[in-house]
Amino acid sequence: MASVPPPSPAPQPAKKKKGVEGPRDPKFIRNFSIVAHIDHGKSTLADRLLELTGTYSKREMKEQMLDDMELERQRGITIKARAVSMKYVYQGQEFELNLIDTPGHVDFQYEVSRSLACCEGAVLLVDAFQGVEAQTMANAYQAIEHDLEIVPVINKIDLVHARIDEVKQEMEQTLGIDPDIVLGCSGKTGLKCDEVLAAVIDRVPAPAGDPNAPLQAMVFDSVYDEFRGAVTYVRIMNGTVKKGQRIRFLQAGTTHDVVELGQLAPQRTQREFLSAGQVGYLICNIKSLGHVHIGDTVTVADGEQAEPLPGYHEPQRMVFCGLYPSDGQDFEQLREALGKLSINDPSFDFEPETSDALGFGFRCGFLGLLHMEIIQQRLEGEADIDLVQTAPNVTYRITKHDGEEIEVHTPQRVPDLGEIAEFRQPIVRVNFVLPTDYIGGIMKLCSDRRGTFVRQEYLSPTRAMLVYDLALADVVYDMHDKLKSITRGYGTMDYELRGYEPGELVRLDILVKNERIDALSIVCDKRDAETRGRAVIKKLKTEIPRHMFEVPLQAAIGTRVIARETISAMRKNVIAKCYGGDISRKRKLMEKQKEGKKRMKSIGSVDIPQKAFLAVLETGEDDKR
Amino acid sequence: MVPRSAYLHVPFCRHRCGYCNFAVVAGRLDLARRYLAAIERELSWLETPRPVETLYFGGGTPTQLLPADFARLAECVLKWHPLLPGAEWTVEANPADINAEYLRLLVQLGVTRLSLGSQSFSAHKLKLLERDHAPEQIAWVVAEAQSLGLPVSLDLIFATPGETLAEWQVDLTAALALGPQHISTYELTFEKGTNFWSRRLRGELVGADEELQRAMYELAIDTLNSAGFEHYEVSNYALPGHRSRHNETYWMGNEYLAAGPGAARYLNGVRETNHRSTTTYLKRMLAGESPVAERDELSPEGRARECLVFGLRRLDGVSRHAFQEHTSFSLDELAGPKLREFVQLGLLTDDGECIKLTREGLMICDALGPALL
Repeated sequence: MASVPPPSPAPQPAKKKKGVEGPRDPKFIRNFSIVAHIDHGKSTLADRLLELTGTYSKREMKEQMLDDMELERQRGITIKARAVSMKYVYQGQEFELNLIDTPGHVDFQYEVSRSLACCEGAVLLVDAFQGVEAQTMANAYQAIEHDLEIVPVINKIDLVHARIDEVKQEMEQTLGIDPDIVLGCSGKTGLKCDEVLAAVIDRVPAPAGDPNAPLQAMVFDSVYDEFRGAVTYVRIMNGTVKKGQRIRFLQAGTTHDVVELGQLAPQRTQREFLSAGQVGYLICNIKSLGHVHIGDTVTVADGEQAEPLPGYHEPQRMVFCGLYPSDGQDFEQLREALGKLSINDPSFDFEPETSDALGFGFRCGFLGLLHMEIIQQRLEGEADIDLVQTAPNVTYRITKHDGEEIEVHTPQRVPDLGEIAEFRQPIVRVNFVLPTDYIGGIMKLCSDRRGTFVRQEYLSPTRAMLVYDLALADVVYDMHDKLKSITRGYGTMDYELRGYEPGELVRLDILVKNERIDALSIVCDKRDAETRGRAVIKKLKTEIPRHMFEVPLQAAIGTRVIARETISAMRKNVIAKCYGGDISRKRKLMEKQKEGKKRMKSIGSVDIPQKAFLAVLETGEDDKR
Repeated sequence: MVPRSAYLHVPFCRHRCGYCNFAVVAGRLDLARRYLAAIERELSWLETPRPVETLYFGGGTPTQLLPADFARLAECVLKWHPLLPGAEWTVEANPADINAEYLRLLVQLGVTRLSLGSQSFSAHKLKLLERDHAPEQIAWVVAEAQSLGLPVSLDLIFATPGETLAEWQVDLTAALALGPQHISTYELTFEKGTNFWSRRLRGELVGADEELQRAMYELAIDTLNSAGFEHYEVSNYALPGHRSRHNETYWMGNEYLAAGPGAARYLNGVRETNHRSTTTYLKRMLAGESPVAERDELSPEGRARECLVFGLRRLDGVSRHAFQEHTSFSLDELAGPKLREFVQLGLLTDDGECIKLTREGLMICDALGPALL
């Protein structure tokens, strides 16, 4: 993921830096992260800790210092991992506390897991009113899986509606946390935040690792700096890395010179070296983030090399959509913009594709829906291109009768029905956490989507967790919106990929004036096809303006038409009065209409507005109710 | 080509009707003196008299001016725009404020055509439209004008809120009964900035739906056709020999001169519109400044395309020969494929020389414009 580079380092004091004195004893280092559900106050607590440790004074403090990406601040969520190094004197001893901030969203699970692998402990932060939520659990489970010491903290204890005892009970019930060790604090007022720091030092184990062993460091994040190239964030597991050293990325197989290294405090602060247990950054003249792989292992280029650290894998794109310039002329401009974005965010990828309907464009792969939205927003924000976006879809695995196995990222590439022997789709395990009142609604939603019930647990008398296995495609479309509407905003969800399973899937085609519009094809369950087809063309009927002729709309599986609608021809469109002074005005109006038409996609003789390409998101469920 | 048409805008009205967005001032006859002075000055900038074949006094309500002022205005306009032999001179009038004496004055001055803002013969509809005349006044004015040998054109508005097809038929029949030479029918439009616009926004007024609008329009065409009126432009119908020659210059893309607030002229390929505010217009004119507020200059191709789009509003259609002559562009090179497409869709007919709107094409002719421009 890309980010705005941190402000350039503050001028360093002329005096010699402490680092020169020798490696810091790992005994006095603590590496931890804060895990929480969205909005539970992670960034605010982090701000207080920075302030308490004097890393940043109140005066300099920007709200939510860690989320320095504009988009993150807008959304109040953390997309990028960050690592801030703090010095804190506790019981007469100075400690180095490295706070590794983790992304809070399921789309970035892999990044989360790599960040957690760099920690020995995690502050599990739960909102005193909201209680345990889906991401609280997903993140806590991950922390437990990584053998991290959990420091449970209830935040916002100063809230009038704080329900501290119940929340403790929920934490015990769901995560087996001893209520006696749960701390309380208020990140907003700073109340008892020092106790959190003390608990981190007391409870989180010091990092193991030998400063004298061969260099072994984990890449857990990277950001792009316009002037310096990739800035790689690492946790030193063993050994020591020095400025000027030649290092090797084991997975990428590349070698680089360390031009600069240091720690974030929270601005980049140069050091002479980083040693086992420490967290910091490396700058090695790397031109693209595409060359820095999260989870990769850094070792020395020459001499005794370390083993690669376990757990590395390539980013997995789960969601795909087509992006097309409205105006074919903008194709190169779009390619350039996408290229620029991918330098900043290697987890997003794109390849050219063509559509009969939309012309030349790109099929883009994203880690998840949020990731897709972020990329689109950035694209809109940074490149002034009018885009047509096709509906998001997932990857399908298809075995053909001739034995050929194919993976398709776009419905238009799904072969004809007769050629398909097996059609498999990704299945995810979804955890819903919700007030018990809404269990029925969510169960109905999941069973409508043919979900497989896995289990149900009560977190407290009023809150429950439901676990279902569902097709990712269904989750991608609108599950989150549905959950929010059914639970009036109180439900939360989280999911992880389980694998691919065969389904009764079909490619549903949409025909406009008897022409198949490839960009409108969708893959759906055979049993939903009729409802979906009807819903899609009904929506299209409202999105496509009337023409001078009738426009028939059809939904079809293969040659079988399963739904049809007709957009009737325009009946009257003529303004009566048109004299001397009206002509210029009227002509300008017509010219404007002509411009408007240009922004639509003209297919055959039918003008289709860009928005219509999202009509395929219609599920038809609202009509059934 | 030398323009042979001139338009004069007279902005005065007794009051502003709820649907009207024209350049008018209501209840400000006190400005008449300054207005006359301004017109005199604007016309004097022509430097040499420009004889015309058509002259049109529109408004507003030209007959709101006191007869003496009107005579002075006419004298000044005719000085700069002397009428060529056989010229047409139209004056718009409101049935509520014209009397026999005034009509005689018009005829004496040489007016050849009276365009009457009759709008409807239903007292209810007139009230809704906020008109200040009664149905009987229309009949009286028409009869009086005809007796003086002055041909009359009636304006009618249809598709007003709540109006039925039957009510519209009554209006058409009533208009025909008076024996006018010319009828214009206008579908009510809700224009931004009018009372009607805000009342529709508030839900107080509901316009007719598209099907009813179409039915009313077709009813007008059929009724007037069978009464011997030739439907010669989208909104205009005339007995043989009584078309508005002045208005035809607009649709044929010919140039024209103009004076007065909000008036538009088309000269040397440039269309200019004077400031719509009467007071601003007066202020600028009397300070010797240009009254022009908007200027629209098109490339030769742009002019040709405009000529095609607006030329199609005439039911006579656009002739390839005349088009080439007039614009020096070939119709087929300019828009061949689009025109063929429209012919195929049954919106145009093409006999090889002339393209014309079909009935269906007429109904949606504004939708053709964007494709042809």
